[in-house]
Formats: sequence, structure tokens, C-alpha cells
Amino acid sequence: MTDAQKELLYDLLAKQVTEGLTADERKQLDTYDPAIVKAELRALETTAAAIGMASVEIEPMPDHLFSRIAAAAPAVLKEKETAFDGGAPIPSMSRIITADEVFKRKPRTFVFGLLGWVVTAVLLVVLGIQFYATRVSKQPEKAVVALPSPSAPLSATDQRDELLRSAPDLITATWAPGNMKDLQVSGDVVWSDAKQEGFVRLRGLPPNDPATTSYQLWIFDRSQDPETPIDGGVFDVNSNGEVIMPIHASLRTLKPQMFAITLEKAGGVMRSKREKITALAKVETQKS
Amino acid sequence: MYGGLVWSLARRMLRNSDEAEDAVQEIFVEIWRNADRFDETKASETTFIAMLTRRRLIDRIRFSQRRLSPDSLDDVLLEPFTRTDKSMETCVEAEEAAEAMRNLRPEQQQVLRLSIVEGMSHKEIAEATGMPLGTVKTHARRGLLQVRELMGLNTNLQEAKA
Repeated sequence: MTDAQKELLYDLLAKQVTEGLTADERKQLDTYDPAIVKAELRALETTAAAIGMASVEIEPMPDHLFSRIAAAAPAVLKEKETAFDGGAPIPSMSRIITADEVFKRKPRTFVFGLLGWVVTAVLLVVLGIQFYATRVSKQPEKAVVALPSPSAPLSATDQRDELLRSAPDLITATWAPGNMKDLQVSGDVVWSDAKQEGFVRLRGLPPNDPATTSYQLWIFDRSQDPETPIDGGVFDVNSNGEVIMPIHASLRTLKPQMFAITLEKAGGVMRSKREKITALAKVETQKS
Repeated sequence: MYGGLVWSLARRMLRNSDEAEDAVQEIFVEIWRNADRFDETKASETTFIAMLTRRRLIDRIRFSQRRLSPDSLDDVLLEPFTRTDKSMETCVEAEEAAEAMRNLRPEQQQVLRLSIVEGMSHKEIAEATGMPLGTVKTHARRGLLQVRELMGLNTNLQEAKA
């Protein structure tokens, strides 16, 4: 490597660890030996992290933020426990990792220090739940959609209408069949990042047996790895007709790109094998 | 345990409490998901967490195209570089970095502080300080490499360059 090439490499790496690279700069960096880039980047990221730590006055995390994180922790930790059950990818999501890719990954190497760290995280969760039990949001209970029962659907309809009227950043997506092509599903989903509220409206989903199966909603947003979408809640359908139900996102959701409904075992799962995808909805529009 | 560190880095770089809260929640989820990537031979747990935090914050700043207001810029330029010795006791790398920074030229220190600590882009630093953009980039590159060398984090390529 010439001196000029080295200088450009370090210019690119310095920019990456301080403010990130543009697409063109990323392409330039990709022309270098990946092993060299990885080693150099790691060293410079460590340097930048150390400078950052040396330069901030550590403040305690606010209590309300602590409780929010503690509420989200159990789902993530359980997800990690079951993260290797594989499954086929959802169609047209190119970044989703397939079962083969998952199993080809290196086995995990839990060092003692890390184990202590995870234990600390679990303790944080337990303590958080105890201390903030009155403040953390409860896990959403399974919704039973019982059309044509008049009260619950109307209530959801009214709530949905109110969201349509008031949300400044409404996104919409239209349901289409997933990998169960014989289902003639239709309808839409609406979501507001600002309100952290959304509704599913769906027709053509066949009734399920609540003793053995549940429908489960998944949200693919920009902050999540497509391998681990956000759980949007579980529900049953005990009558044919239009289903309108609120979305119970288990994590804060920002700019969803796609929604999916899978048929799972009763009560839902932490991680779907994606064998029975009953409906998919790709986000099309955003209200400005 | 690391909540204060992640929160403080986010608050300082994003300069907006609401956005920092959202970022911290995302970062903790990412930390839990990436715990198995931690390699104790490469860096301490604290530094590993600070690295993941910085990656996510840089992504967030790029995504939001956050820009500092003239008022907040004045505050940034006047802020001191080092934190107190008491809070530095938690991480050896942070102590080494602070010591290394003291060996840099003042303008290199300033560029690294504005860039790494305050989350400003090189272009923003050039506009705020009056330095040419090329000079800012050079200070960032040379300053980072010098701190890295003083911290003993050199790689084979860097040793060959030296």
C-alpha cells in the first residue's frame, strides 16, 4: 500500500469513527483489504470511545428512562435465549437472516465478565420491575376479536378514526397474502410514530382455535434488525369478518417499513419460525 | 451499571433530552443483542459499550441531519475537555486517552473534542472554528492516530506507516 493510499484509508476511517461515511466514501473504503479495514477500524473506534469516555461527566440515567428500559429488557433477553431456532425468511425482506445463516454463526463465547454483565442486566430488570411495577406498561393481553359483536370493534374503530384525524405522521400499508397464498386477505394498517399507536384492519383471516394457535403481529422498523422484528401483540379471530384491533408494540417503534401476521402456537412466540405468514403489509405512504 | 455512561454520551452528542432517551433505549437493546460479540482481549467492557453507543449515536445524527444552533455552538466551544478524575477511575482506557490528549496540539484537541464528544461533523467544525475543512480533517486523522499510538493500540499497518 502506498503512502497516499494509507493516508486516504486513515482519512476515511477517521471520518467513519467521528461522523460516519457517505455511500461514495463507503465504496472507497470497500476497495481496501477487509481484514486491514476491520483491524484499523476497531483500533480507531476504541480510541474514539476512550476519548469520549474521558470527556463526559457521568450523570445518572433518569428514573423514568430506567423504567422504560427495564420494561423492554425481558422481551430482549428472552429473545436472545431463543435466538437460534431459525426459520425461513419472510419473502422480499432481503436482509432477513435465514436459518442456514443463523446456524453458520460462530458459537457464543460467554466470558466470566460478560456473564456477570448479563446477570447484572437481569438483576436490573428484576429490580426495575419490582420498583416500577406501578409505572411500567403491562404486557398486552391477547386480544379476542369477536365480530360481529358490536361493542369492542366499534370502540377500536372509533379509536382508529381518532388516530387518523389527529396523528401528524400517519403511515399506512395495505395487507397482502404472505406465504399462505390461498388466504384472500385484505385491509390495511395505520401507525403513528409520534403517538406510538396504530391499528390493524383486516378481512379474510380465518378463525383460529385459541387453545392451540394465535395470530401474532410483527413490526419491521428502521431501528430493528429484520431478523428480530418487534412483537406487535397476539390475537384470536373467532368470527369471519373485519378485524380491527390496536397494535401493542413491545418496543418503541420508529418508521415501520413492513408489518407481518404469522400463525403461531397459542399465546404467541418470542421468535417466529415464519412458517405460516398469513399477511404482509409494506408501508407505502406517510402523512407529511 | 452502564446506564449513566450511555445516557451521558447520548445527552452530550445529541444535545436533546427526548432524542437522547429514545437513543439510549435503542442502544441498550443493541447492547443486549450484541453482548456475545464482546471480546475481552480487545477492550474493556466499558469501552465496548461506549463503542456500540457511539456507533448508534453517529447513525442517529446522520439520519436526523441534526445541526447545532448558533447558541448551543457557543456553549460547545466553551466547554472544558476533561471530566473529573473521580469519574475517570472507572475505565483505564479513558484515563489513557485523557493523558494522550494532553500531548496533542491545542487545535487537534479542539477538533477531536468537537467531533468525538460533541458529535459535530467536520464541516460544522470548520464553520464554527474558521479552520479550512481540509485542516479539520487532517487534525482529526492525525490526532486520532496519535492518541491511538500513545494508548498502545497500534496495528501492524500503523507500525509500518510509522
